[in-house]
Amino acid sequence: MSIDHRKFSRRSVLAGTAAGAVLLGAPAIVRAQAKALKIAVLLPQSGYLAQAGQSCHRGALVSPAVLSNFGFNVELIHIDMESNPDVARTQTERAINEGAQCIVGAFDSAGTLAIAQVCEQRQVPLIVNIGAAPQLTEQGYKFLVRNFPTGGMLVKNGLTQIQHLIDATKIAPKTAVFLHANDNFGLAQRKGMDAIFPTAGLPFKLVESIAYDPKAQDLSVEVTKIRGLNPDLVLVVTRAADAIKLIRDIVRQKFQPMGIISPGAPGLYDEEFYKALGPLADYHIDAIPWANPKSKVTQALEAEFKKQQPKFRFANECFNVGFTFDALLVAADAFKRAGTATGPELMKALMATDLADHAMIGPPIKFDAKGQNVNIPSSCVQNRGQTPTVVLPADVATMTPVLPMPPWQGRT
Amino acid sequence: MTNIWYHTNWRGKAICLLLLLAFVAAPIVADRYLLSVLILVFYFAYLGHAWNLLMGFAGQLSLGHALYLGLGAYTATALWTLFGVGPWIGVFIAIPVAAAAGMLVGWLGWRFAIEGVYFALLTIAFAEFTRIGFDHLGITGASAGLFLSVSSEGADKWWNLGGGPLLYYYISLILAVAATVLVAGLRQSSLGYRWLAVREDPEAAQAVGINIFRARMIAMLISSSMTAVGGVFYGFYYRNLFPSQVFDIGRSIELILAPIIGGLGTIFGPVVGAIILTPLGEGLTGLMQSLGINAPGAKLIFYGIMLMIIISLRPDGVWPWLARQMGLNGSRK
Repeated sequence: MSIDHRKFSRRSVLAGTAAGAVLLGAPAIVRAQAKALKIAVLLPQSGYLAQAGQSCHRGALVSPAVLSNFGFNVELIHIDMESNPDVARTQTERAINEGAQCIVGAFDSAGTLAIAQVCEQRQVPLIVNIGAAPQLTEQGYKFLVRNFPTGGMLVKNGLTQIQHLIDATKIAPKTAVFLHANDNFGLAQRKGMDAIFPTAGLPFKLVESIAYDPKAQDLSVEVTKIRGLNPDLVLVVTRAADAIKLIRDIVRQKFQPMGIISPGAPGLYDEEFYKALGPLADYHIDAIPWANPKSKVTQALEAEFKKQQPKFRFANECFNVGFTFDALLVAADAFKRAGTATGPELMKALMATDLADHAMIGPPIKFDAKGQNVNIPSSCVQNRGQTPTVVLPADVATMTPVLPMPPWQGRT
Repeated sequence: MTNIWYHTNWRGKAICLLLLLAFVAAPIVADRYLLSVLILVFYFAYLGHAWNLLMGFAGQLSLGHALYLGLGAYTATALWTLFGVGPWIGVFIAIPVAAAAGMLVGWLGWRFAIEGVYFALLTIAFAEFTRIGFDHLGITGASAGLFLSVSSEGADKWWNLGGGPLLYYYISLILAVAATVLVAGLRQSSLGYRWLAVREDPEAAQAVGINIFRARMIAMLISSSMTAVGGVFYGFYYRNLFPSQVFDIGRSIELILAPIIGGLGTIFGPVVGAIILTPLGEGLTGLMQSLGINAPGAKLIFYGIMLMIIISLRPDGVWPWLARQMGLNGSRK
């Protein structure tokens, strides 16, 4: 077979090469000049973290419409990381290959760290929506920011809110017991508690810290121990299923503390908690970051959530939904200011974030040199009428706190 | 190994060489995503070989191999983070640690005639209580995890296993190829034949003078040591370790899928299984996305269905059937 040299002149080869180069470079040019920021949202929608991951996912689903109303344009790629770091890593690579210019995720710290490795190497910004491991912003990542408190911050801010709660309700607790799940989140909270409580200046004594296995069938042994210590307050770090087991065993053993308060953990405000316990779910307090019911952004987010997700209650989900929305808002805002989606420029804009209007309670979102937002306050959220309700700080509260909590008898 | 190579027909030799060449050259054309998938393929092929030695050849079911993976990973990464001992030295400390655990499990099981499903339960128990132990071990971060420093692109440091995917790609490829060669060599050795005899009929094997306890212990020693090396790779690739993930029974199940799908007791079964399973998972993810199906867990359901179909159609594994189809001799190999 002979080659037709007329078809392969030097000029045609040069022209072809130039055209090829333009074609090959096209994605980068498109990426840099895109009108909408393409964000891959990696969440554990299946696997052992599915409940929280799906809640965050619902937040991501409703966000583009809300962001659009505020003048931001984003295009989302929704990815299930299956609560598996292997999947998180490969899917991040795939998402970036498919044009993702920014990553948001991933609820769990192990998955987030797997994503962070890829983002660091490919210079694509990662915005952590939820993930409390301090190491996320202590390892020296240059393409990572986190708009979520560390475990230590959660405890510190939670204890501050408990002090405000005592001041507001004028109760005088003398003793407390700290009960926590013995998983990575619970242990991080315990470490924070051990370090911060002695200097927090709270007017009660922490008589004991008790760890429990989150896989235990019931918590009767732990509750018996707590009952023996008879503390005024029970401070808890739980997950949804454990919180149900805990309250059931406390009621069963007829133990009546002044209050059951979480210094920053899920469990007490999940829909399953209300469904399983009914009126017994009321009056427990969670001192955690929460959506600001008086913010116009939150109100818009809630309206859109009700429209798009009518089967779910915003009041229960606003922690996951709010932080996921705020992460997307931070990305969209940085993109608008940067005017480009190239990684280093977008990252520079992210680090210069100063965002006053957002969904969660707190001052403007800003990041320190490590990429951590250090100003995420907690609020007191009390279950009232089986709905988590902001009761402190007073300027954003919709009800006043009630402590000591009413007795168990007569509630059912 | 040379014996197997000598007895393999020209078609088998050509396929082996072409496949190896393709994998060596893959980074020239493959993008980062494909490389990350291939890293997982080689990683699971390697671990599959390690498990297949014990189950496929020596006939002992372990459902707790995450124990050796976790011990290897934790030993090497802890040595690096706490004492600055690099992984290339750390691996030689991780191996005896995991091997000692394997010998203890094996000794307890076989010395006291705990066999079959009871031995499998013993392996699960060891992995579980080690997980609980590490959940409370402060020096390795307990349940809050152990973290390695950031690994940036362009800062490839082969001596501390830090860097981009290319480094991990070739290391995982070398591990998979070396494991295949090692397993092929062992299979053809007198030890390999003793394992097969013990697997098929322990009483008969003992009657002909084979020390079945010794044969099983050697299988456990090699299998746990190999798994520990995989653990070192895991620790430095992901750069964070949590006991709840590394020692989890799900991890043990994950690493036995490739040899079961590929073909238990075969040399190329774990490789074929890994080549099928990892791309299958990734392919299903891509397919779901292109079809616009965004139902959480749907991919895992399809993945499970695909596994059931494969197992029901090829109960002996894909490799023996594939080898026959390709006209390769020695399909049980």
